[in-house]
Amino acid sequence: MKMKKFINKPENIVPELLEGFALSHPDQIRLVGSNLVARAVPKAKGKVGVVTLGGSGHEPGLSGFVGEGMLDVSVPGEIFAAPGAPRCLEAIRLAQYGAGVLFIVLNHAGDVLSANITMDMAKREGLNVKMTLTHEDISGGSNPEDRRGLVGFLPVYKVSGAAAEEGRSLDACWEIAERMGRNMRTLAVAAQTATHPSTGQPIFELGDDEMEIGMGQHGEAGTGRMKLKTADETAEIMLQMLLDDLEAKPGEELLVIVNGAGATTMMELFILFRRVSQILKAKGIKLARGKVGEFITTQEQAGFQLMIARMDAELLRLWDAPSNSPYFVVR
Amino acid sequence: MSGTITRDDFARMIAGAAASIRAQHNLLSELDCATGDGDHGSTMLRAVERLERSFAPGGPEDLKVCLREAGWSVLGVDGGASSSLLGTFFGGMADAPACNEPIGTAALAEIFEAGLKAVQKQTKAQPGDKTMMDALVPAVQALHAAADAGKSVMEALHDAAKAARAGAEATREFTARHGRAKFLGEKTRGHPDPGAVSTSLLFEGFSNGLGESKGESGNA
Repeated sequence: MKMKKFINKPENIVPELLEGFALSHPDQIRLVGSNLVARAVPKAKGKVGVVTLGGSGHEPGLSGFVGEGMLDVSVPGEIFAAPGAPRCLEAIRLAQYGAGVLFIVLNHAGDVLSANITMDMAKREGLNVKMTLTHEDISGGSNPEDRRGLVGFLPVYKVSGAAAEEGRSLDACWEIAERMGRNMRTLAVAAQTATHPSTGQPIFELGDDEMEIGMGQHGEAGTGRMKLKTADETAEIMLQMLLDDLEAKPGEELLVIVNGAGATTMMELFILFRRVSQILKAKGIKLARGKVGEFITTQEQAGFQLMIARMDAELLRLWDAPSNSPYFVVR
Repeated sequence: MSGTITRDDFARMIAGAAASIRAQHNLLSELDCATGDGDHGSTMLRAVERLERSFAPGGPEDLKVCLREAGWSVLGVDGGASSSLLGTFFGGMADAPACNEPIGTAALAEIFEAGLKAVQKQTKAQPGDKTMMDALVPAVQALHAAADAGKSVMEALHDAAKAARAGAEATREFTARHGRAKFLGEKTRGHPDPGAVSTSLLFEGFSNGLGESKGESGNA
């Protein structure tokens, strides 16, 4: 399959996409320093800053969530590659408003490495930073270190960002982020590969009639590749695995996110969400909040991520709090 | 040749490493396509460019300062785990007290050991996990062994390059257990690890670079 993308020179993809992103949301974000994405209007002094990092090519993740009530600064890397420690450190210095910085890191090898080096440097400088790692992909197995960070970043940004906006302490914001993290689970399924925008090569191979749950992985969850199933069948399989892993019980309140990978349509995502909602109802589990959309994508990959999270009253209140980022607005 | 090397010799080693990466960057990208994103060649090109700049003539005379700058500069390549680990390696070398002394074989081994220690602080990868460690660990061991055997710096770097090459070759039969490639598991067998290969290229370049400056052949 030949790559068909509207790009210019491959080496200019990241700076050009960031420029366009900033130009399209001038009221919410701006580019500062070495292409860091920051709020157009910095947060008031005395509040905790919230910073994240991650490779590009997953738009609107992660910089699409910089804005009031969510992130202060995002450090975008090259295509699918973590940014290095120097720019992360620059972001953490930038987000110091006097109450410290919460550094939210998705569990991927390159991101964690950069983040750990950044934390060492930040400590050497005497900066007040706490790091939280999101790792909620259950296909990684039972060891938390092997669980990758997927769309669960969204509720973590949202609730800890809202806590920071309320003026809570760094310890409190960190505790909220960790609590959100502990209570969420995600599974991804891929139905069609994507091409790497820089190389034009497919990022993995998948048969015409196949799908893979726990995409890109090696069957650790005991599912792996199978013939393509209907929306209802796929939702049933994935939701059951998530509910089992979370040990969700009747009466509990869940947040559910269905995140499109890039080529799967909103039409399909709604059909999937419908079935998830029906199953929860049948089990007596409350669908407290739901969200369907594209929050983190992988180019023209077909597939989706299904996330469930157990919510308590405080987490729900923070999820509902106002936010004004380019790709997540709550009024 | 004299028993010790200078900051300028180190600069020649770096230039040799850069030449070695430039000659093989397409191979690195091809290897990376098999198990990764296919960007390892371009990441390494950007990394060696920055290494060279940190050791450019007219720059700081102090080896420690050069290494510190080189490390920070490579971290800024933004090339995912490879540039983070490589930057950590060079930055870590600057922590060795031996940087301030005339550098004989034992001091060189100590400097590289400090770089290795810094990398080991950031990754749990061990030899056998199909990563750059499969080349780096035996290379540093070879430097120590050469120092113990009373070999010259030139001979030591030659041994290190040979050990790194053998280590990189061996990764062909390993299954990835770290980084993004670990999710491909058994599918990674049959392909050498791009990070191990680039590390062995760096060591071959160190050996060649110093060999040229001393009028000796450093070819493995």
